[in-house]
Amino acid sequence: MSSSISRRSLLRGAAALAGASAVGSALSSCSSDSDNPGSKAAVTITYWDWYASQAGWVDNEIKLFQQANNGIAVKKTTQVSDKYADLVSLAYRSNNPPDILMVPKNPPLTQQVSQDWLLPVDKWATKSWQSRFPQNSFVEGVDVFDGKVYTAPFAAPAPSLQLYIHHGVFKDAGLTNPDGSVLLPKTWDDVSRAAEAITSKSGGKVSAFGFGNSTNTSLAWWLDLFVRGAGSPGGAAVGGIDGMDYRVGKWTFGTDRNYLDVINLLMEWKNKGWFYPNSMSINDEQARAFFERGRFGMTIGGVWNQPEWTKHKFTDYSLVTLPSPSGTPKALFYGPPGGKFVAVSSKSKHADEAWAWFDWLYSREAGKRWVEQGQGLSVYQENNDPKGVTFAPFAQYVALAGTAVVGPQPTIRNPELTKLELAAVKPDINDVLAGVYTGQIKDVQGALTSLTDKMNQALADAVKAVGAGASLTDFAFADWDLTKAYTTKPGA
Amino acid sequence: MVMTTAVRDGTGTSGPPRAASPTARRRARRRTYLWSYVYLAPMMVLLLAFIVYPIIASLGYTFYRWNGIGDPSNFVGLDNFRQIVNDSIFWRSLGHTFVYAAVVVPVQLVLALALALVLNNRRLRFASFYRTLFFLPVVTSAAVIGVVIQLLVSNFGDSINSVLLDLHLIDQHIDWLGDPNFAMAIIILVGIWHTFGYNLVYFLAGLQTIPEELYEAARLDGAGRLAMFRYITVPMLRAVGVVIVVLAVIGTFQIFDLVQVLTSGGPYFSTEVVNTYIYHLAFGGSNANAVQPDIGLASAASFIYGLLLIVFSIVQVLVLRSLAKRRGTSTGRQG
Repeated sequence: MSSSISRRSLLRGAAALAGASAVGSALSSCSSDSDNPGSKAAVTITYWDWYASQAGWVDNEIKLFQQANNGIAVKKTTQVSDKYADLVSLAYRSNNPPDILMVPKNPPLTQQVSQDWLLPVDKWATKSWQSRFPQNSFVEGVDVFDGKVYTAPFAAPAPSLQLYIHHGVFKDAGLTNPDGSVLLPKTWDDVSRAAEAITSKSGGKVSAFGFGNSTNTSLAWWLDLFVRGAGSPGGAAVGGIDGMDYRVGKWTFGTDRNYLDVINLLMEWKNKGWFYPNSMSINDEQARAFFERGRFGMTIGGVWNQPEWTKHKFTDYSLVTLPSPSGTPKALFYGPPGGKFVAVSSKSKHADEAWAWFDWLYSREAGKRWVEQGQGLSVYQENNDPKGVTFAPFAQYVALAGTAVVGPQPTIRNPELTKLELAAVKPDINDVLAGVYTGQIKDVQGALTSLTDKMNQALADAVKAVGAGASLTDFAFADWDLTKAYTTKPGA
Repeated sequence: MVMTTAVRDGTGTSGPPRAASPTARRRARRRTYLWSYVYLAPMMVLLLAFIVYPIIASLGYTFYRWNGIGDPSNFVGLDNFRQIVNDSIFWRSLGHTFVYAAVVVPVQLVLALALALVLNNRRLRFASFYRTLFFLPVVTSAAVIGVVIQLLVSNFGDSINSVLLDLHLIDQHIDWLGDPNFAMAIIILVGIWHTFGYNLVYFLAGLQTIPEELYEAARLDGAGRLAMFRYITVPMLRAVGVVIVVLAVIGTFQIFDLVQVLTSGGPYFSTEVVNTYIYHLAFGGSNANAVQPDIGLASAASFIYGLLLIVFSIVQVLVLRSLAKRRGTSTGRQG
């Protein structure tokens, strides 16, 4: 009745299992290192980023940089974007950070500076060096702290989200202009009509819309894009004070009717079966691949979609942004003046060499190549001429640059606000949307009101913790015209 | 040991060995124990460094609001505990964890026992191969399994749906991992498959300790397979079985990686278990979805969960002990 496990069979089994686990380990690795093979540079600096789809540009810049700087090699490590902030934090805890790194989005830059993570670069970033950037690029509380420069803007304000249109799907659905070109939607009704045509003409085989929400972020992009078009400047951003309506200095998910209207619109589309059914469980990369294969006709994403599609030779698409009820967007995308991209680590033993790489990345030429390769807009306006861009979809993106402008910046008005530490509020807008979309939240207005109250309470608590130098009124900019760039005046 | 000492001392030339003095005996015993401590030391160091110290350290963090950067300074007293106790998502996560354990443990144990009985059959050919095959998921990283299952479901989910729709078993397309009604079920199924190899091996080991003579005697007495299973296998496996149940329950309460990779606790916390809940508090959101982490809150949640598990374990031990006592009494009566 019994059979014992012999030593030989156990060893055989163990060998097989070890092989399987080795394959597993190989599959599960998720960061990549790249070095310069055969480099005999005197100094090797370590550089971290989370640029996966932009890796081609970075690698080319490293190659050019090393050719121009014979004694310096750059060892790049591209970390998985989802965990970048944690990995940077752990690297500093273990006293082993890279020499130069892309600035993580968390913790806030002010805390990265106060924790002595970053090296002020004033020694090299002199006034003359700064003069190559557009005016107001170096702003206290954004990239300058206590008068010291830590990083600099790399990209110009740009529309962070676009509605991508699959030409093949649209043409199959008969959505074309008299000249045969694809009929691009501008209004919410246009989008609905296109969706209906795609679904009915394909007999339900092709979905109208699709997204990949497995990381619980991209469903909120739909709310963000549509609600801005309707005139809600906060969109649906999560993190820090993003997503606030600076006209009133509060979050307005529950009080601004546009949020409920857009969510109702999305649910109407969902109930009609217009969304790709697996959208909640696939990730953004999968959604990008499914769009490429024509499984759905429209998706929302950023310009980061384009390099991947170009690599696969998929170019038959267009993009629009900020579809709105009337066809004219009432709010735009807003960014702060100044900006951040890379910074030199305070622990670097090769600060001069790290600065050389910093300087290279911020050069006009590197920015020009960034635009030419279709990665995004450059901080240098002369690089952003759509006429100079040969690739049609990217030229469309460049032409949309006017839909992003500088918005109000509370930390310029009151630098005390750089001390603000806002507690996370959960469930956030991404969670609420997922709850509504999957039918777990029935009272949408109630959920939005509750979220708004919690976020505004968290802000009030955080402002109180800063002390008498800060006030809730610091966040309100009543004179803000949503369609124009805003210049925040210190103390005003 | 006494003999050896005597020979070394050069006193044991002939006759019965002289009894060692109490001091020598104590010294010898201490030497023996010393080696035991030496063997135990590496494990104890690891235990202290990676289990005991983090527990004590995290208890300190529970009194602070702290995002993990720098030293904690914002003392909030018991506020983190109050927040966790009042957080419906925490209780929901706890509920999911218990549901997971309540389904996985019994299903997995029954399956593992059944398969162990089959594999324990001496006449079964390629038994070693099957053992390896069933144990393979255990040594495969849960992260890899999660990624593969996620890809399978997202790429072939449409095909599965088409078949089910054609058979009129469903009336609309199902997003298997994106639908709150199905996502947890899939995690449970994968969880059963992933770790059931452990229990299979434990049961096999237990079965191999049962003397063959018992079965031979029972056969001579005319017992059938069912009777042998009921009156020999089950009672003889009881001691091993209790350990397997306890280990399986502890294992299921540690569920994390599978959920994190397959659904990350979503959609809208419908698959959130306590460990992913704690993880999300401790590490905030992603780079794209930058949410401030809160180590203090995560530590408070861990502490509360730890306490609940201790209470649960005590109840489990008391129940098992009382069952064993009752069985002992009834066996005594029968005897």
